[in-house]
Amino acid sequence: MVGREVSESCVDSMIIEMVSSYCDRFCSAKPELAARRIEAIGYQVGLQLSERYTMERPRFSDHLEAIKFICKDFWSELFKKQIDNLKTNHRGTFVLQDNRFRWLTRMSIDPSETNANTSDDPSVATTESKSAQSASMHLYFPCGIIRGALTNLGIPCAVSADMSNLPACSFVVRIKA
Amino acid sequence: MQFFGGSDISPSPPVATGSGSNGHMMYVFNRNGICLLYREWNRPLRTLSSQQDHKLMFGLLFSLKSFTAKMDPTSVDKGNLGVPQLPGQGCSFHSFRTNTFKLSFMESPSGIKIILVTNPKTGDLRESLKYIYNLYVEYVVKNPLYSPGTPIKCELFNTSLDQYVKNLA
Amino acid sequence: MAPLAPRTGDAVFANVERVNAELFTLTYGAIVRQLLTDLEEVEEVNKQLDQMGYNIGIRLIDEFLAKSNVSRCVDFKETADVIAKVGLKMFLGVTASVTNWDVDGTSCSLVLEDNPLVDFVELPDTCQGLYYCNILSGVIRGALEMVSMKTEVTWVRDMLRGDDAYELRLKLLKQVPEEYPYKDDE
Repeated sequence: MVGREVSESCVDSMIIEMVSSYCDRFCSAKPELAARRIEAIGYQVGLQLSERYTMERPRFSDHLEAIKFICKDFWSELFKKQIDNLKTNHRGTFVLQDNRFRWLTRMSIDPSETNANTSDDPSVATTESKSAQSASMHLYFPCGIIRGALTNLGIPCAVSADMSNLPACSFVVRIKA
Repeated sequence: MQFFGGSDISPSPPVATGSGSNGHMMYVFNRNGICLLYREWNRPLRTLSSQQDHKLMFGLLFSLKSFTAKMDPTSVDKGNLGVPQLPGQGCSFHSFRTNTFKLSFMESPSGIKIILVTNPKTGDLRESLKYIYNLYVEYVVKNPLYSPGTPIKCELFNTSLDQYVKNLA
Repeated sequence: MAPLAPRTGDAVFANVERVNAELFTLTYGAIVRQLLTDLEEVEEVNKQLDQMGYNIGIRLIDEFLAKSNVSRCVDFKETADVIAKVGLKMFLGVTASVTNWDVDGTSCSLVLEDNPLVDFVELPDTCQGLYYCNILSGVIRGALEMVSMKTEVTWVRDMLRGDDAYELRLKLLKQVPEEYPYKDDE
């Protein structure tokens, strides 16, 4: 079923603006607080989306099945593709890797900063970490979405992400015992 | 290369160096006259500081647009020479050619100006400039880390731009 | 080579990347809800939504211009039509009608019968005074400012407040020509 659609830019630009509003205006002096708020917005979205997408579906029998649902159906609804690789340590930690995560495909970090790493100038180092920090701010929203979706399926967890290999992104889900 | 005066302009155009590369340099200005990007592929001679260079280029476009609108034989409604216009108002030019280079220009109604300086033998680049404007939209405007109005430092944009300009005929 | 004709809203919308509108609607809802919690005052939320919209508008304008082939926006009447038929369609998949022009052609209404921002939304009584869709008026104001038109964009009718349609009032305050930004002695 193809429901209503809007242009991808509507969603992308709204998320970009939400992240920068929280980072630069509402919580400019407190990046941790901005991160928490952005994550909370994602959580809310994940909760509601997961509710909608599982309405006519039997309950999942175990954690792995629920995680597979996130990797396949849920991800496809949002990004028109599945998670590319799923790993687990069988003790409650799952790594979901998307080799081309849609929200990162256009993210490009200042090329001059890659060289700035070797500089002794402390002000350069600050800009570098600042740019890396603002890049990572964009990951709290999708992390929140995953946490919200799993929470709705009865699985409390913590979610973090790594994007050291743009545009790939790995989400690490740690299920709370 | 100089835009005004100067006695050292060679009588025949320099042979383009590099493998079939026609692009010399490119500028992107926004509506406030801020140079968002200057990219250079082949410019053997620099006579000005980059700041003066950008200012001269912006001034040239500004005057030329005002001039072409004033000269327009098809329109009655023309402002005075040098009086600012709305982007998209009046007629404008899209390229000019000297014996050593060709300058192609496009301006969006939002005041984004893209200037591409190439080998004088290059053909009509209007579609190419539109394509570059689309690259700007995809890789600059949509880059979550880019703040509008600031200098462009996007690797994805630079890479795709270099690639595209390299293959310009 | 003649300049390409501007494309229709349907044609542009068919060609852009599209996503599931639920994600859009629910994300916006979650943002509004979070702002209500964090900013407390409804008035302040209205203001911030408008500001966020403005910032989005100044980004989206170039994508709009690049993909629609609109090459000039000098006439306000034409511009209002283009927003209603091409701009809204290209991004939200809906169109609006342009009505209620004043005599000097500087203000008009955009009436939307369908609005994806508000699917599944019901405002609780605690949100009295909230202009839920204020982001949209901000987007239009921001986008128009980038094409030299200073405008005032306000909500006249809002279905979430019990009206029968969504109506935005657009008022052109002034057209701002491009200035030469350098001083001669610099």
